[in-house]
Amino acid sequence: MYRRLILNDFKNNKLATVATCIFMTVNAALLGLAVLLFVNLSGAIDRLMDVAETPDFLQMHTGEIDESKITEFACQRNDVDKMQICGFLNIPNSRIQIGDKSLDGNIQDNGLFCQNDYFDYLVDMDNNVIVPSAGEVYVPVCYRKEYGIVRGDLLHIGSETLTVTGFLRDSQMNSMMASSKRFLVSREDYDRLSSIGSEEYLIEFKLKKGSDFSAFSTAYEEAGLPGNGPTITYPLIRMMNALSDGMLILVILLISVSILLISTLCIRCLILTGLEKDKYEIGMMKAVGVSGRGVRRIYISKYLILSLAGTILGFLTALLSATPLSAQMKELYGDAGKQGLTYIFMILGEILVEAVILLSINRTLKNIEKAPTVSILNGLGSFGKKKNLWMPAGIITAVSTFILLVPLNLSSTLKAPGFVTYMGIGSSQIRIDIRQMDNITTLSENLDKELSADERVSGFTLMRTGSYRTVMPDGKSVNLLIESGDHGKFPVRYSKGTYPRTDAEIALSILNAEELGSSVEDSIEVYLKGTDGSTTVKSCRVCGLYSDITNGGKTAKACFDTAEDATPVMWSIAYVSLADESLAGNWTKEFRENHVSMGEGIKAMPISEYLNGIYGGTISTIGKASVVTTILAMVVLFVVILLLLRLLIWRERSDSSLKKAFGFASRDIQKDYLKKVSVAVLLGIGLGIFAGVIPGQFIAGLFLNSLGARGFRFIINPAYVFALAPALTIITAFAATVIGLLEIKTIRAFECLR
Amino acid sequence: MSELLKVKNLKKGEIIREIGFELMKGEMTAIMGPSGSGKSTLLYNVSGMDRADEGEVWLGGQEIRTLSEDEKADIRLHKMGFVFQQMNCLSNINLIDNIVFPAAHADRKRQSEYYARARELMAKFHIEDLAERKINEVSGGQLQRACICRSMIMKPDIIFADEPTGALNQSSSAEVMDAFLKINSEGTAILMVTHDSKVASKCERVLYILDGEIKGELSLGKYTPDNAREREQQVAAWLTGLGW
Repeated sequence: MYRRLILNDFKNNKLATVATCIFMTVNAALLGLAVLLFVNLSGAIDRLMDVAETPDFLQMHTGEIDESKITEFACQRNDVDKMQICGFLNIPNSRIQIGDKSLDGNIQDNGLFCQNDYFDYLVDMDNNVIVPSAGEVYVPVCYRKEYGIVRGDLLHIGSETLTVTGFLRDSQMNSMMASSKRFLVSREDYDRLSSIGSEEYLIEFKLKKGSDFSAFSTAYEEAGLPGNGPTITYPLIRMMNALSDGMLILVILLISVSILLISTLCIRCLILTGLEKDKYEIGMMKAVGVSGRGVRRIYISKYLILSLAGTILGFLTALLSATPLSAQMKELYGDAGKQGLTYIFMILGEILVEAVILLSINRTLKNIEKAPTVSILNGLGSFGKKKNLWMPAGIITAVSTFILLVPLNLSSTLKAPGFVTYMGIGSSQIRIDIRQMDNITTLSENLDKELSADERVSGFTLMRTGSYRTVMPDGKSVNLLIESGDHGKFPVRYSKGTYPRTDAEIALSILNAEELGSSVEDSIEVYLKGTDGSTTVKSCRVCGLYSDITNGGKTAKACFDTAEDATPVMWSIAYVSLADESLAGNWTKEFRENHVSMGEGIKAMPISEYLNGIYGGTISTIGKASVVTTILAMVVLFVVILLLLRLLIWRERSDSSLKKAFGFASRDIQKDYLKKVSVAVLLGIGLGIFAGVIPGQFIAGLFLNSLGARGFRFIINPAYVFALAPALTIITAFAATVIGLLEIKTIRAFECLR
Repeated sequence: MSELLKVKNLKKGEIIREIGFELMKGEMTAIMGPSGSGKSTLLYNVSGMDRADEGEVWLGGQEIRTLSEDEKADIRLHKMGFVFQQMNCLSNINLIDNIVFPAAHADRKRQSEYYARARELMAKFHIEDLAERKINEVSGGQLQRACICRSMIMKPDIIFADEPTGALNQSSSAEVMDAFLKINSEGTAILMVTHDSKVASKCERVLYILDGEIKGELSLGKYTPDNAREREQQVAAWLTGLGW
């Protein structure tokens, strides 16, 4: 009988049943998907890093190295398990061509690499260690799609040719956020081609289990071993690997939480509407002696069935939608293995989300117990509070506007020209890097003259970066990468203080400041090398802190006088802005053509292109997410307004019938509802815009914090925020209201007389 | 006859000022009075659906007014039966399921036994062929007889009926009253609220309520079809005397 009771209830209330089941399915699917992607991503990354034996500590270095000194250091330490020094043959991008596509314009430092002997292996698509033969090259898998590469394509390096035999996964440099990419070749080819590029060194250590990475890092630095390039540790590599796809998971999780909140509210409305319809029946059941708890159990069993269906459907939906979403993940990091465990986690996650919904349902159904038997038996009274239904309508509008705005604002912020200043990059239009040259200083001087003479250039500044020995207030000595020049021209965003104005000031990146325990007003001693080879110690006051994504986030800014400071320049960067911004692309192209002869180490590119290289994937993910969330938010708003309105109309059916008996037309009653909906929706939009800009900024800040941008503020697009979002919300709410109000026409004047 | 129900000094807001009466086992009593006099409120408070402000309600030696909602529900389920004017039934199940519903809720293991009893009751009230019908596929009189079957499924000591014929036409009303008389003749007490003097005249006793107080009581003795006309006239005259 109970089975018939429930099945017939489903049959007779198809809309409410389907809507509730959809809400339960969507929740289960979203959380299941987030869990699936998270477990797969972290599992795949761990597996890859395990197979590849990723180093625990990695120091990059350009220039001479004393191998014996490093070996001696490693032997002395009992936390070192293995060590190796590998060469990385940096090839100018303009000299690399795959098939008919040149890598010129690629922002990565691309180079050749030989398979390691002891650890840090490059693996193939089956996660097997690759051993290439002569004439073969394995290409980083992240380029497969970007350049449409297939096996058998030819890779040209200058006049030399290699055959693409396969693709490789690089546990260290897979992520687009890693600045280098390694192409795997045989030792013979590496040696043969060494004259084309310049060799860098990767000094790698595998530490014993449980070793302290930062203690090792300090010891390495204090030993004065080679280290003029970025230092990278295992956790940093893992984080970079996880970030790009992690963002997608985080977006799904955020949507999932928002949808869960909205779903519980919607299901509450559906239940209350259902209870209003079943009022007489519930009254009868209670009157004949079924306890309130007994009636509640009948209803809860109905939702348990729907919840079970939702879990199963959600599980299947998550599995189906995971395939396209995890395609990139799978290509970059491979399989996670242990799928059984993944499914268990998925089901556990789905059970958790369904339990939250069922708890909320149970709470709503407690209204059955509270409702006085006699009142509901006679069609009087109602379940839950009657007055507050307009408030949920406003809140849902606010939440929908919020869900709509946050990804939109995030997207417009990431695309905004000023955003780079949060990332430690000056807000110029073009960036010119001079690297890997013996005569960087001369080239910089020439570039200075050239840019000064160019009428199209409205402003530029030249920065030189070198490695400086510094002594912290606590006496600790570290080498800092300091970028020296005029930092006032294209200033980055300082979360504290400002840029260095005198040569006795220094600004630190937040990561450096945190690691060194320094803050504004501290003083740091910097060792400058004079032109005569002498060393002078300069006391610099920390004048500002800024967030940075370049060079592993550990940088510093100063404006040392070149007459006093002749520390070797590792690289030089020019930031250029043009009077006519639209010319940036052409100007860069022309500049590249003119400087082919000057050497391969000069790279010019529009800042937008540079950022696209690093954040292109993220911006595109956020862009896609904002489209999805917009659709989702509007569907949710439509459904909820419709449901709320139906509930209200049901509750006030008797009153509306009375009005009709008095001679009110349906249109009069509809107008009254429309007015109330409009007030709730407009207030909700106002609240949603506020929440989407202010608290939304905080949430987005958490995202961007993980990307390296601190002290972040939204750069909003007013057209989106104040016109598009409200217009979309109003249209959706209006459409739902118009459809919902059709119900008024079905109310008859005599109903109130029953 | 021994006492089944005893109501002492019952008060409920302004509706019931102070009421007291007794009902013997197997007795059939009607409560009459004008609209708003407190008839239905009295029924709801005596049956424990509502809680009176003051007074005592004793059923079979147990005071029920002060019991918890769940305890009162349990008493309603096992010792009382209910029939309402609106013939409230569950629309998602058929007639026989509706009859069995309270019993099945009380003890799911005995469902088959209850279904057999439900068929017996339906046969007794001539609706056995309608067992599988939906509630909107039968007439008002048939549905109300099904409601009477439902009220009898747990073999209660007493049936509370609130205007059981109020929504029915004359012939359906007569069928329903026949059913009540049959039940009563088998020993089940009935306390019935009604507006209809003809219906009231079939009861052993009539209580007249006005402004929340019992203003009159008429004893008629057991009903037999032979003295129906006289009883109707007697009730009508009595009511006129009370200002009805």
